[in-house]
Amino acid sequence: MSLIHIENLQKHFRILNRHPGLGGAMRDLFSNDFRSVRAVDGISFDIEPGEIVGYIGPNGAGKSTTIKMMTGILKPTAGKILVNGRPPYENRIRQAQIMGVVFGQRTQLWWDLPVIESFKILKEIYRVDEKTFDAHMSLFNDLVGLSALYSQQARTLSLGQRMLCDITASFLHNPQVVFLDEPTIGLDISIKAKIRSVIKELNQMRQTTIILTTHDLGDVEALCQRIIIIDKGKILYDGGIKKVNALFGAYRTLKLQIDNFGPTTLQTLQDGLAAKFGPENGVTVAETEDLWTDVTIDQARTPLADVLSFVMSSFPVADVRIVEISMEKVVRKVYDGALG
Amino acid sequence: MRGYLALLRGSITIGLVYRVGFLFTIFGNILYMAVAFFLWQSIYQNTSTIHGLTFNETFIYVALGSTIFVLLKTYADWQIAHEIEDGTISIYLTKPVDYQLYALCLSLGSTLTNLAAITVPVLLMMVLVFRVNFPLGPGLLLFPVSLFMAFLISYFFDYATGLTAFYTESIWGIGTTKDILVSILAGALVPLQFFPDAIQKVLLLLPFQAVYYTPLMMITRPNQDWGTLLGMLGIQAFWTGVLFVATRLFYNQAIKVLRVAGG
Repeated sequence: MSLIHIENLQKHFRILNRHPGLGGAMRDLFSNDFRSVRAVDGISFDIEPGEIVGYIGPNGAGKSTTIKMMTGILKPTAGKILVNGRPPYENRIRQAQIMGVVFGQRTQLWWDLPVIESFKILKEIYRVDEKTFDAHMSLFNDLVGLSALYSQQARTLSLGQRMLCDITASFLHNPQVVFLDEPTIGLDISIKAKIRSVIKELNQMRQTTIILTTHDLGDVEALCQRIIIIDKGKILYDGGIKKVNALFGAYRTLKLQIDNFGPTTLQTLQDGLAAKFGPENGVTVAETEDLWTDVTIDQARTPLADVLSFVMSSFPVADVRIVEISMEKVVRKVYDGALG
Repeated sequence: MRGYLALLRGSITIGLVYRVGFLFTIFGNILYMAVAFFLWQSIYQNTSTIHGLTFNETFIYVALGSTIFVLLKTYADWQIAHEIEDGTISIYLTKPVDYQLYALCLSLGSTLTNLAAITVPVLLMMVLVFRVNFPLGPGLLLFPVSLFMAFLISYFFDYATGLTAFYTESIWGIGTTKDILVSILAGALVPLQFFPDAIQKVLLLLPFQAVYYTPLMMITRPNQDWGTLLGMLGIQAFWTGVLFVATRLFYNQAIKVLRVAGG
């Protein structure tokens, strides 16, 4: 039996149409002008025990709403959802015992107390016995060096340290499934790597199922064998990482700041690239609002280094940045049929 | 149960973390007591009783009233509203705890720290510095029970006020209105005997008086007969039960706003 079973799940919100200005705000006090938003619009999937599933999509795609339904915070408008064979919004307290949750923007640690106190409180709340607790704490200590932070108040931790504590805390009662909602948001590269390795090890040691929502495609590449892409409340893709990986991995965007950028520069650049690398070169050019020029390159077809050296030698380039493809672009490419 | 005790312990520990704030609360309370002492002393200059209360009784009432006011002021309403507004409540909804009892434990924790840090020093001050003569009687035995129920009732008011944040997104107006209503109707500002008879009768039946008036009566008029004392305690117990159930039902309604309409 699958651990999580979701069938044609829907969640609609009623949102007040707010009007601008003071007059509008006054009118809104008595307004009955609601519109319905389908945050989750008929999704279905199954998740097996022990999987790490990346649940990704752009802002407002419906990721957090789905997580909140799986954790029993929100009640679905329609459709079926079972976690461990039971609907999570019924008997919330019993269901809570089998899951761990981390919301990246919030903390379950007690802000004013030393970290160890929060762990002790969680130990009692989840009725973890002394022996298991000690074993877990020494494991966490091996993984993240937790004991160094024991006596610090949670408020004095850095964002990365706090997140490591939050993640390990969510594994304390040995739950069957852990939901990680944006666990790496706002963190720098080195701490992200640390967090990924901790998640991976905990998953392997305990066979804990992990549902991970993220904006960062690096998280997905590092952790998940399976990903589900959601946009506007509907599932765009559900399957192995390999296909999608080719998509993220292959694309890079070269951001250029070109001196004396004129109305014809973009066209000249496009023509130059087409002449140099052929018409089917996988290179697209676009101008962004902040005066940068984005050259997106499919490295499977044209090497980035070649494009870079061509551009540098042919145009007065003032500044260059190379960035990985964004979640929004991945979703656009999926729409365009990139995953066939 | 274990979990709730741990929450309680955590909440007490937080109170102790902020030592300086603590000391100032004690200082502020002693200052208020001194002001009340001289104010009521001048009011009583030409008369020995007002509405049947002597200076000694009135001073005990007012000074202890303000102490109990601070003791029961745990800001649970603001805290709950804050958790609802910024979504932190989601964290507790994913834990195996009952929200009403969770918030109760936090509130009780700060009341217990207040008790040790404010109420006890104030009582000592009253006896040692202001030379107040506390009357003796069976009511003193019932005072702790009465005070605990007063805490529960006051917490239920706070809890219900906090929950309105589900509907209003901000409890500013409701919170301050509740504070003022409770302190007037409960007799925290002036003894209820000072109100006209008819109003007094109505007020004695409402839950507000159970917050201040009842425990204060236990200590200012402890030598009444057991029947009267237990009757007052009974009304308190009645309201404690009613409000416990009412706030639970209110929560079940209010949480629907989040669970159905979204967070």
